[in-house]
Amino acid sequence: MNTGIHRSREVYRVTRRAWPQDNNVTEQDDKKAFFSQSIHDHMASLYSVARRLTRNSADAEDLIAEAVTRAWSSFDSLDDRSHFRPWIFRILHNCYISDYRKKSVRPAETAYDELSTAGDDSEIACLLTKQPDEFLAWWANPEREVINQMLGKDLMAAIENLPESFRMVVVLINVEGLSYDEAAEALGVSPGTIRSRMNRGRTLLQKSLWRHAQDTGLISTYPAMESRS
Amino acid sequence: MTDKSEKPEIVGTDCLQAFDHLYAYLNGELKDPKDVAMIEDHLSHCRSCFSRAQIEREINDRLKKSGTEATPPSLQNRLKKLIDNF
Repeated sequence: MNTGIHRSREVYRVTRRAWPQDNNVTEQDDKKAFFSQSIHDHMASLYSVARRLTRNSADAEDLIAEAVTRAWSSFDSLDDRSHFRPWIFRILHNCYISDYRKKSVRPAETAYDELSTAGDDSEIACLLTKQPDEFLAWWANPEREVINQMLGKDLMAAIENLPESFRMVVVLINVEGLSYDEAAEALGVSPGTIRSRMNRGRTLLQKSLWRHAQDTGLISTYPAMESRS
Repeated sequence: MTDKSEKPEIVGTDCLQAFDHLYAYLNGELKDPKDVAMIEDHLSHCRSCFSRAQIEREINDRLKKSGTEATPPSLQNRLKKLIDNF
């Protein structure tokens, strides 16, 4: 009997002490394991986006380390773990805005959203009509061969020349494969804004590629321009 | 941009409407079947917009292939140490 009572008391003491601790340990371990694995899974994407933001690898690494630290400290705010990817990109972007962009010596970028005016039939019309004739002519008769000759690094260089808000949208969606909804969540804007920035960003990208093709000799003179002159 | 004359109209109304949906269409984000039908109909008869869509598809493919860089080992080690200490 005594032995049985002692056993029961021992079990009681053990369970009273151990169960809550075991739960905490399990929950913490699970949280950390998920976090660690998720960071590992998205590390290449985080680095890619950070590189496009900071334009150099050392700053990109510092930015990611800061973002990961902040993400861990606010991990409990992530209600749905399936949204980890846009959530971590949003923290990365916020870290960039709050810390790194302030340090940048680059001048403030033009708010291209301001190009659109209420009187336009289409915001795209506003952008298109501001572009040089030769670009529009090339665009209307695109030479696919030029794109084929361009290397990946040329495309990346053209992307890095985009204003930040467009650069982020193009990188998140076209390079990293986020959906419009995920990109909206990552950047804290509406899906409609993402769509608008995508249109403008890709328009500017084409313009940048055209200039790059000219600068590097891929296009010396566009035939249509020769016939005009 | 339709080919009604020797000099193509760069910015026609139909083309602008199509352009407004083009990237969403190419990125698989155009959900409304009516919008999809509208742009596919336009691309089927506007050579310039069809060509533009082709080149944008090409750019999309290039971006997907060339985008993600290899993660430096220094970053991998740094993050591992960081997370181990959390």
